[in-house]
Amino acid sequence: MRRRTAAMGVVVLAVLAAMPTVASARIKLITLPVRQRVEIQLDNPNATLVEEERVVPLVKGVNQVDFSWANTQIDPNTIVFRVVPRAEGAEGERPEGEAAKPLDVSVLSVSYPPNEAALVWQVAASDSGSARVRISYLLGNLTKSFNYRAVASHDEKTLTLRQYMRLQNLANEEFGSTGLWAGFGPRFLKPIGINETKEMLMEKYESVPVRKTYTCDPQEFGYFDRPKNKLLVPMHYVLKNDEENKLGRAPLQFGKVRIFQDDGHGSTAFLGEDWGKFTPLDDEMRLSVGTAQDVVVRRTIDKNEQKRVAGNLYHREVIVKYEIENFKDKAVTLDVQESLRAIRNEVGGDTGRDAEWELGELTTFEGGPDEEKSDFDRVVFHADLPARGADDKATKIVHKLHLLIKNEW
Amino acid sequence: MTNRRLSQAVALLSVLAVGAVEARNVDLSTVPDRDTVQLTIYNSEDITLVRETRKVSFKPGANPLQFSWANTLIDPTSVELRFLTDADKLDVLDTTFPHDKPQMLYWNVQSEIDGEATVEITYFTSGITWSADYVCIANPEETEMGFEGFVRVFNNSGEEYEDAQIRLVVGKINLVEKIAELAKIPVSEVVLLEERKREELKAKAMKKAIAYGARLGGASAPADAAQEARPKEIIKEGLSEYFIYTIEGTETIADGWSKRTRSFEGTTVPFKIQYRYREPEYGPQLVRMYLLANDEESKLGTTPLPDGVVRLFRQTGRDGLSFLVAQPIKYVPIGDKIELNLGPDPEVIFELVKRRVWRDTIWMHIHGADVFRRADQPGVEIEVNSTVAGWDDHTRFAQRVRNYSKKPIDLEVRRTLPGHVVFRSGLDAKNHDYRTVQYTAAVKAGEKTDLVYEILEHQGRNKKQDNVTVEKAAVGR
Repeated sequence: MRRRTAAMGVVVLAVLAAMPTVASARIKLITLPVRQRVEIQLDNPNATLVEEERVVPLVKGVNQVDFSWANTQIDPNTIVFRVVPRAEGAEGERPEGEAAKPLDVSVLSVSYPPNEAALVWQVAASDSGSARVRISYLLGNLTKSFNYRAVASHDEKTLTLRQYMRLQNLANEEFGSTGLWAGFGPRFLKPIGINETKEMLMEKYESVPVRKTYTCDPQEFGYFDRPKNKLLVPMHYVLKNDEENKLGRAPLQFGKVRIFQDDGHGSTAFLGEDWGKFTPLDDEMRLSVGTAQDVVVRRTIDKNEQKRVAGNLYHREVIVKYEIENFKDKAVTLDVQESLRAIRNEVGGDTGRDAEWELGELTTFEGGPDEEKSDFDRVVFHADLPARGADDKATKIVHKLHLLIKNEW
Repeated sequence: MTNRRLSQAVALLSVLAVGAVEARNVDLSTVPDRDTVQLTIYNSEDITLVRETRKVSFKPGANPLQFSWANTLIDPTSVELRFLTDADKLDVLDTTFPHDKPQMLYWNVQSEIDGEATVEITYFTSGITWSADYVCIANPEETEMGFEGFVRVFNNSGEEYEDAQIRLVVGKINLVEKIAELAKIPVSEVVLLEERKREELKAKAMKKAIAYGARLGGASAPADAAQEARPKEIIKEGLSEYFIYTIEGTETIADGWSKRTRSFEGTTVPFKIQYRYREPEYGPQLVRMYLLANDEESKLGTTPLPDGVVRLFRQTGRDGLSFLVAQPIKYVPIGDKIELNLGPDPEVIFELVKRRVWRDTIWMHIHGADVFRRADQPGVEIEVNSTVAGWDDHTRFAQRVRNYSKKPIDLEVRRTLPGHVVFRSGLDAKNHDYRTVQYTAAVKAGEKTDLVYEILEHQGRNKKQDNVTVEKAAVGR
């Protein structure tokens, strides 16, 4: 059984010119203008704006246009009533029911009855006829969210990314064929039923280059085996939101990403899901696809030596050593991330001050820190790891991060 | 629809004379209608001054006049009767508040005339309030907007005032002096008064002030214009410390109802867009602002704007609107700025990148000798028995701005930097206040820029001040 649905409507009282107040008529003749067009604007992150257009018959003089709603969360303070001006020379395109010549229509005042979800506009018309009006309001419980479906190629070099907008209508009002716009991407024309959830394909990005990364960062991801100093190595698919990487049409909205991979047999395998953060243009969306257990990184502090400058003022020399083994049958690149302040705190305690540091000459990562991804608080190095050998043994790669931490006390 | 609960009335009792045999339970009375009624509504306090006129026929001698106000929120102590005609021949001899009829009083009027006179009854009621709000619709290019002001009157007073002239008072007067006068204490001691007492005196002071103001604007209600087929004009005028909006014609607002009327319309109000970073005002984010002013240049400036909510929309350019924001604004005097915060813009990315940190000018305190020496100079050896006593922290930042919008943007950044700080940069920077630096920049459409600056903070014994100095200097990447 369908439960009580919203009754939202506009009525025009035709007795009005003679009414001294909106409060006194007992006998009413009303017309019920139907919606001609509805647009739902979803571009505001916090609010949904509904605009509906109706052709309202008016008599010469003052009319009452009554707008009421039930069981819906319309914010009455946001209701705007506008008369749509007819374009000059648009006589031939005049919608059925509209006045032959444009009416001069203005809103005189709005009255709000007590304890009712309604309001009454006093509208003056220069002549009898119909006017096209647009009523807009913010409506609660009509919300949108985004989600993605990413299907990676078998070789994990590219993926197909589909972005969907999910509209959930718990507003207790149904809309016929309705224009929908999220502020970007395509415009949709769809009916929306009560309690209906509608998912619409916003964009389909094909052959998007994807970078599969292996990252260790004791600060962000922690250890896989702390007593053995083995770091956790999560894997990510990284997409760059720019045109070069076949994205870059708009910022990617926050939403859940379901990740699949072409299994090479005409089907797909589900790899997992992650929340994709809001990703502006030119930024990267990093999606976790689990933990790599066959890339082993053992991190130790190889050297921690302090040199007195004067009194309680010291410089400190630190070497962080990474012993890395790749047991995979293909070469990969490992991203080694470190927080410099965390290293200083680890070896010398937290002074409450930023670490003043320089990279020492014993640092082995080729090319130094990745400038685009590093700042003074966090550095990122890349380490190329060869595939395991034909004898199934992994080559142990050793890298060192050599730091001179200065002026500590 | 009418829910008329009121019984507010003036009755001329048909008792012949005071002192005649009064009927206790059987009365005959005539009920003169209101001729005009004027409401002066204050939004700073829940007080409305009601002034109504009625025509009453008197006979020579004593005329008992009954005034009653059942189920309304009238303050009985505020009810006053004045004679607008034949004032020299009519006098109120006494006023009686009967103990068994709490919402009623009797005036005993001594008349020398035999005929009709116009009386004015004034009183204060609560339950009638008003508020302002604004609807702004920007054009798709975001260069100008339609700016409409509205006033909404709420009537929960228990009484329906038919065809009332409505005056809305904008502004809040300082009542401290009046409270002090009533309490017979110095102004400085008003804050020490018990809250209940202070509120009581404040209400009294307010009423005195209102009564004075009301007499200044003594026009009677003009002819009914309720059915005129054009929006009513709202006349604005300054009066003492108030600004009074008078709604053209008369209005009837039934009890429990509210009514909203346009107070002004600025059809094409130009505005500017600025991106701002001001953490204390807008939080730790870059926000997009619409800036305009309540002045002639902005096609406004005819009236102060009372406190109210601004609801801002933008035309999409495809026959529709986008909702941008609803923002409360405080009272805006004529000539003052109106700043509307649209929140962060997803097309403009604002990131602070720390580029480098270093320290210098390190002073050591040699213990035992109470001597200080610099430690960061070559060839200087300092006793082991010493501690760092002063130093300078340097931090170099890049404020990275990426503008993906299709328009160039103007940017203004304010950063509060506590401590003894020097702000060095080649930017267009200045002190906003003693501890806040403000700099501006323009970023072209589609451009990415790094605004680089260095913060030098004197610490320990190097700290001599608690302020920020702005220095123009080239700063390395």
